[in-house]
Amino acid sequence: MDWKADKFSSVEQVMDGMKAAHYICDSKVATTIYLAGNIEKPVLVEGPAGVGKTELAKVIAEYLEVPLIRIQCYEGLDESKALYEWKYGKQLLYTQLLKDKLDTIMNTQDKLADSIEKLHQYDDIFFSPHFLEPRPLLKALEQPDGVVLLIDEIDKADEEFEAFLLEVLSDFQVSIPEIGTIKAVRKPLVFLTSNNARELSEALKRRCLHLYIPYPSAALEREVIKTRLPQIGEKLRKQLVAFIQAVRTLDIRKPPSISETIDWARVLLLMHAESLNRELVGKTLNVILKHEEDIRVAEEKLVSLTAEALKADDGMTGE
Amino acid sequence: MEGVLGDFITVLRKAGVRVSISESLDAVKAAQIMGYDNRRLLKEALSASLAKSHAEKDIFDSCFDSFFSFNFFQSPKKANTHNPGAYPEALKDQLSALVLKDDKGQLAALMTEAGRMANVSSIKNPMQKSLFTMKILNQMGMPGMEAMVGQIKNSTGSGLSQQTAELLEKGRDDLVQTVKDYVEQQLQLNADGVDSKDQFLKTTPLSQIELRHFHRMDGLIQKLIRQLEDRHSRRLKTANRGKLDYKKTLRKSISYGGFLFAPLWKKKKENRPDVIVICDISRSVLRTVRFLMLFIYGLNKRIGKIHTFIFYSNMIDASYIFDRYSIEEALSKITTDPSLPIIRGKSDYNTMFTNFRDQYLHLVTKNTTVVILGDARNNFNPPHAEVLKAIGERCKRLIWLNPETKPFWGTGDSEIKTYAPYCHLLQECNTLVHLERVVGTLLSARR
Repeated sequence: MDWKADKFSSVEQVMDGMKAAHYICDSKVATTIYLAGNIEKPVLVEGPAGVGKTELAKVIAEYLEVPLIRIQCYEGLDESKALYEWKYGKQLLYTQLLKDKLDTIMNTQDKLADSIEKLHQYDDIFFSPHFLEPRPLLKALEQPDGVVLLIDEIDKADEEFEAFLLEVLSDFQVSIPEIGTIKAVRKPLVFLTSNNARELSEALKRRCLHLYIPYPSAALEREVIKTRLPQIGEKLRKQLVAFIQAVRTLDIRKPPSISETIDWARVLLLMHAESLNRELVGKTLNVILKHEEDIRVAEEKLVSLTAEALKADDGMTGE
Repeated sequence: MEGVLGDFITVLRKAGVRVSISESLDAVKAAQIMGYDNRRLLKEALSASLAKSHAEKDIFDSCFDSFFSFNFFQSPKKANTHNPGAYPEALKDQLSALVLKDDKGQLAALMTEAGRMANVSSIKNPMQKSLFTMKILNQMGMPGMEAMVGQIKNSTGSGLSQQTAELLEKGRDDLVQTVKDYVEQQLQLNADGVDSKDQFLKTTPLSQIELRHFHRMDGLIQKLIRQLEDRHSRRLKTANRGKLDYKKTLRKSISYGGFLFAPLWKKKKENRPDVIVICDISRSVLRTVRFLMLFIYGLNKRIGKIHTFIFYSNMIDASYIFDRYSIEEALSKITTDPSLPIIRGKSDYNTMFTNFRDQYLHLVTKNTTVVILGDARNNFNPPHAEVLKAIGERCKRLIWLNPETKPFWGTGDSEIKTYAPYCHLLQECNTLVHLERVVGTLLSARR
């Protein structure tokens, strides 16, 4: 199976594939994925929280029918957690178990120099792949059928970790001092996501294709809701999307993202709402806004916002 | 087409997008995969491989639109109303043939190629426009086409050949216009080099920078902030081994069977200075205040606490404004908001210093860096230098930034010379370069 021929033959194919996995996106996203599949480069996905950056990787894994390996980055993440670690326990246990054996080997020699010479013949047994505990990165390189590797929220990790990733990202290989260089059996498709908590290094950006996912346009958002929640009525869908889009233009700390829109749609569906009204919105505002101040700001303008949203629906049905 | 892509990348670089060699190679690969027939797809693919941040995407979009504004992507019309095949002699000349076939793609390619030969990207001022237009037209083979038109006209052909000549003449006029536009566009793209403009902005006195450059300045400041951050974060890392962290070492040693195999060190706390900024917001200093504040609040990751005081005829604590609003809004608030209890009369250092001593001196600790920004023009009030002395003795560092140029210090009502002995650092500060230097020392030096 070859991805290039099979899954990445055209932009449309990628887009359809993602649509089949219930991921609606614009052609920018599809083009970048298509490109990444063809020139085998990692993709750095940036954008505000909750626009579906992580979801994108999941969907691509589903589309390619390969497993998804995920590393969640955080401050203090280092290579022993991301790449590999020696199985210290096993090493210790084996040295204990093999103690007698070692003794007999050593006892046959009388001179110290000879013993050491003898020992040298066995030196690397405890630092061989058998004693290696692969962590996500190494696992991703070892998969024979390829894999989608998701390095989530890379901006949360330290800069050192970022530097350490460079080898993996550009050559798809890692160096383990005791063993040597391990190359990818099959190059994984790598996604890195970032919320821009800090500026990523130029070196990292250089090695990646860059994709910026903004908040979706109204049309796209309606499409997403339609795919995710087909039960919801068309009228309500239009209204709620118009409302969300208006809220995003307010001066608030955390504008609602697409995942919040979906949650809200779900809530409205549960409440058997058919159309937005002021009371309903006021009651469920905490689903889309997660900060006290934000809710206050929105509540102040609730009347006009709701009216706008209702009007938006009229305008569109009138077309 | 690779040459054109190269030119495009040069334009991007000039516009401030950092493009490395490997990224250019990616772009070439991407363009090969995508082909040139779909403008949107090509744009998206190039955008993914060249522009690596949200801001760069915007620059990329505008550059792409203006650079590829010629109809490279229109597929050439295949069926023509006239039949060029009937005039084989006209087809011998390459340019005439292309004009007759109306093959826009080929023409555009020919033109860009000719532009490259004529080195049109070196165009620097509008005076050179006609020169380059001529050069490009010649390079494309315009003289040959002119000759062909003459030849056809002179030949005693039927009406059909006259029609061809007319077509050619019309094509020629279009072509000249297109080349003119192209040269104009190149002028726009290349002469307006951002590199030089940035440099220019960096060294222009802050008070003279026009409003329309503010946006650019802010970008520049962000860039400088990033550089400063990089510089200072690196410095911290090398000093990152100090005391043995016994607990962690012990815990780690369990995996080595109890041997203290890998000692771990306690990380040194980042040395983040607390900053108290006291700003004169009288008109003479206001611009500099704006940029200093952008700097300091941009660096808030590297700075612990920021207290901001502003004064004019009296002094108020403005920290809450900066905490509550975005930096832009806060700046406009402190300069124009009438509800602030600040009297906009004459700047008065006397009141400022006494106010500060009475109410806020306790904020100054040995970790604090106090930055005073002002021209020390006290309108002949008593200078109260002893308060400054008290502040200087309590704080870690006292930095005075004076937006006036040095020759004016101490003239008229300027008290800067009276204050000078009590400052650890007194600096002229009226360009971005000055500001950057000051903020750099703010972050680094330990006294």
